[in-house]
Amino acid sequence: MITWNRAYRGAHLSLSQRRWLSKLTLERLATRPVQSYISTSNNPYLNLSLEHYLLQKSSPESTILLLYVNRPSIIIGRNQNPWLEVNLSLLSPAPRAATNSEPELAGSFLGAVDLVRRRSGGGTVFHDEGNVNWTVICSSKTFTRDKHAEMVTRALRSLGVERARVNERHDIVLDQGERGGDVVDGADMHVTPFTRQNAASRPLKVSGSAYKLTRQRALHHGTCLLSSPNLNVIPHYLHSPSKPFMSARGVESVSSPVGNILLENEEFMGAVQKQFAVMYSESRATELQEVGLEWLENETVGKGYDELNSLDWTYLQTPQFNVSNAADALASTDVQFTVRNGTITAGVLRSRNNSAFSQLGEDSVGTRLHEIAAWSTALPRMFTGVDRAECDKLATWLESVLPPSHKTAGHS
Amino acid sequence: MATALSALRYAIRSRTINLHYTALLKSSQYRAFHVSRRVDVVKPFLLADIGEGITECQLIQWFVQPGARVEQFDKLCEVQSDKASVEITSPFDGVIKKLYYDPDDMAITGKPLVDIDIQSEISEEDEAKLAGGEGEASPADEGEAKMSSGQQEMEAQGGAEAGMAEAKEVKSDTPRLAARRPTSKSDHGTLATPAVRHLTKELDVNIGDVEGTGRDGRVLKEDVHRHVSLKSQKPETPEPSAKAPKTREDKRAPLTPVQSGMFKLMTRSLNIPHFLYTCAADVSALTALRKKLSGANKSTEQKLTHLPFIIKAVSLALQQHPLLNASLDTKDPKKPELVYKGAHNFGFGADTPHGLMVPVIRNVQDLSIVEIAVQLRELSEKARNNKLAPFDLRDATFTISNIGSVGGGVVAPVISEPQVAIVGIGRSKVVPAFDENEELVRKEELTLSWSADHRVVDGAECARCAERVRSMIEDPASMMVNMR
Repeated sequence: MITWNRAYRGAHLSLSQRRWLSKLTLERLATRPVQSYISTSNNPYLNLSLEHYLLQKSSPESTILLLYVNRPSIIIGRNQNPWLEVNLSLLSPAPRAATNSEPELAGSFLGAVDLVRRRSGGGTVFHDEGNVNWTVICSSKTFTRDKHAEMVTRALRSLGVERARVNERHDIVLDQGERGGDVVDGADMHVTPFTRQNAASRPLKVSGSAYKLTRQRALHHGTCLLSSPNLNVIPHYLHSPSKPFMSARGVESVSSPVGNILLENEEFMGAVQKQFAVMYSESRATELQEVGLEWLENETVGKGYDELNSLDWTYLQTPQFNVSNAADALASTDVQFTVRNGTITAGVLRSRNNSAFSQLGEDSVGTRLHEIAAWSTALPRMFTGVDRAECDKLATWLESVLPPSHKTAGHS
Repeated sequence: MATALSALRYAIRSRTINLHYTALLKSSQYRAFHVSRRVDVVKPFLLADIGEGITECQLIQWFVQPGARVEQFDKLCEVQSDKASVEITSPFDGVIKKLYYDPDDMAITGKPLVDIDIQSEISEEDEAKLAGGEGEASPADEGEAKMSSGQQEMEAQGGAEAGMAEAKEVKSDTPRLAARRPTSKSDHGTLATPAVRHLTKELDVNIGDVEGTGRDGRVLKEDVHRHVSLKSQKPETPEPSAKAPKTREDKRAPLTPVQSGMFKLMTRSLNIPHFLYTCAADVSALTALRKKLSGANKSTEQKLTHLPFIIKAVSLALQQHPLLNASLDTKDPKKPELVYKGAHNFGFGADTPHGLMVPVIRNVQDLSIVEIAVQLRELSEKARNNKLAPFDLRDATFTISNIGSVGGGVVAPVISEPQVAIVGIGRSKVVPAFDENEELVRKEELTLSWSADHRVVDGAECARCAERVRSMIEDPASMMVNMR
């Protein structure tokens, strides 16, 4: 696909051809009222860092568009729980769960998938090369939640996607079913000729939105499912086996049926750029600026990138939650953990058959959940005086519910 | 000579000062006309509304701790609500004294977020962000300002006089909240000739308080006199100069004119023993008819909702059940009388920015459905723009409350004296149902809730009328055969 090549361009160029982050570029950032960017990289950590940099450093009255495509990755919201939202066992290159319990995945497995926690709120999404991400940064004075979702819907409609509309949750959906009889206002982005109150089938979600609001600036970014080859696999990634066993605070994802729009990335990006220019630029056209790996030279971008990459940011920003196997009828020992800021703060083992009871050892308090390499070795260290067989049983259960992470830091 | 000279000097000086002053006011936004005070005391800073009607959000992380010095616009914390993560910044310089929430707690909008020891000058609007002052006065204020202009026209079902006096009271009681109100008092209120200024000094009136009716909002002599006469009516309120913003206390407010009217009327309704009768009508046929008619007529003027149809159906039914259109006269409690009204004057509830109003469509029995729709539209428009005349609000014999435009299924509407019945219409919803062949079909159901005065109306009579209305709505063609 054309996009693929474009995204990789930076890596293939020789040193003389590679783009350097120029002073001019940074000046433009601080002064131009309307700016339009496209990323040459498919690194999700970089793209999100660039987005954040643009949010922080652009001039307060400017309006910015950024478009990027990520390699396969799962992006969780600022305040979400990765154990609850994602099937972590599938992320690592050598998954154990996939082959045993879900044989259908074995053939279509995606290989390494990144896990990224973004800085805006909202739910969990799966990004791949068939999904284009769009970001609009504008002044918080003129910001509304629907404004740019409507802009993207206009772009879709201009490409012939007449089923697209913005729903009440500010997502973009495709209405299903037959064309209705009512005449519909073409300029209304919230209704299509196919919209009906009692639709036979739910509309398919093709874009989700999330926001980050600061004092002067508002960032609205969204996805757009154009032609993902992975739609049948995504539900497995986003369904965590630990759901029945966790009670958590924080924002939970609202799952919706999704579908592909079936457009080319380039087509879509062009249409969005055009709508953006029409909306904001007096000359109806804006100069498109490429951004990519070279921006890592900038200190702020580099720091943000390192933070997003770090396991601490990814795992330790999780709000407090409890894990318990009370819902597991087959277990013979109750286990319960309280995890705060991604570290275990309390834990207890209690036998269901007798009154045996063991509390988490003092030195284990503060163990980082994502640093546990294997429960079979970790569990006996945490709890003393527990029957070995019971421990092993629990360890197996914990391996599926709180899968150890096989990633090492700095894997960009 | 000397006095003339000093008068002239006075005139020149006051004029120059006047010009300078208004120039200052005009150059900056009028909101800059603020009273700044040093407040060396700890105040709670409230979590502002972050939009979308969100009442609470989760606290993700703090950027400050108790004891930290903050400057204006420093980040205090980050909160998260469904899709948005929001950075909250400090509006003042100061020292953080207390954090009200731990990370992961749900922070409530409008409640304190942090205690801050303010060490800067703070303006009026910042004051409002602290506890106690957050704008609850302003919608009432705007309401008053608008109400007092429409006051002369509106009777609002009795109680307007009292309401008017109250409105004026609240208005002149809040000179400090002048920044909020959209009137141009602060801007031009000080425009006046020296003669007028002299008059204000003589009568001991603050020219800033007087509303100018002259050109450009100039204060004229008549305005000053009028202000004085009004001032003598209401009791003297102490100038609230150094009013310390209260922390977490209740606020007393007089009822708005609309609320007063409603209060009086509904208190009288307490005497009426209500009974409720509900029935669900299948409006699928009605909806289909409406769609057909709207499809034929492209103009929005001709668009019909189900309300005109229901109104006409009720009127037709009332011809067979005139008791429900009667008026109960209890002037002599020992000899109550029923007055069977000839005209069908239907009041309908209109939700306006000022509250509930009940305009009346007269002689529904003589109107066609389209004419009823036109009347509905016109009266609603007038109600929204506060242009209803007392004539529009009087002499209702029956009331229809279309709360379904907002929502609701079964409702229990309250009868307005001296009427004896009222019907409330809920929101239609699609439900599964069985038809005559025991097949599962899709039906659109609308619930009509009838309340009647059990002192004169019995359940069966009300039920019969309700069922008649229902059958007419379910089969709109049957309405045609009864129409005059």
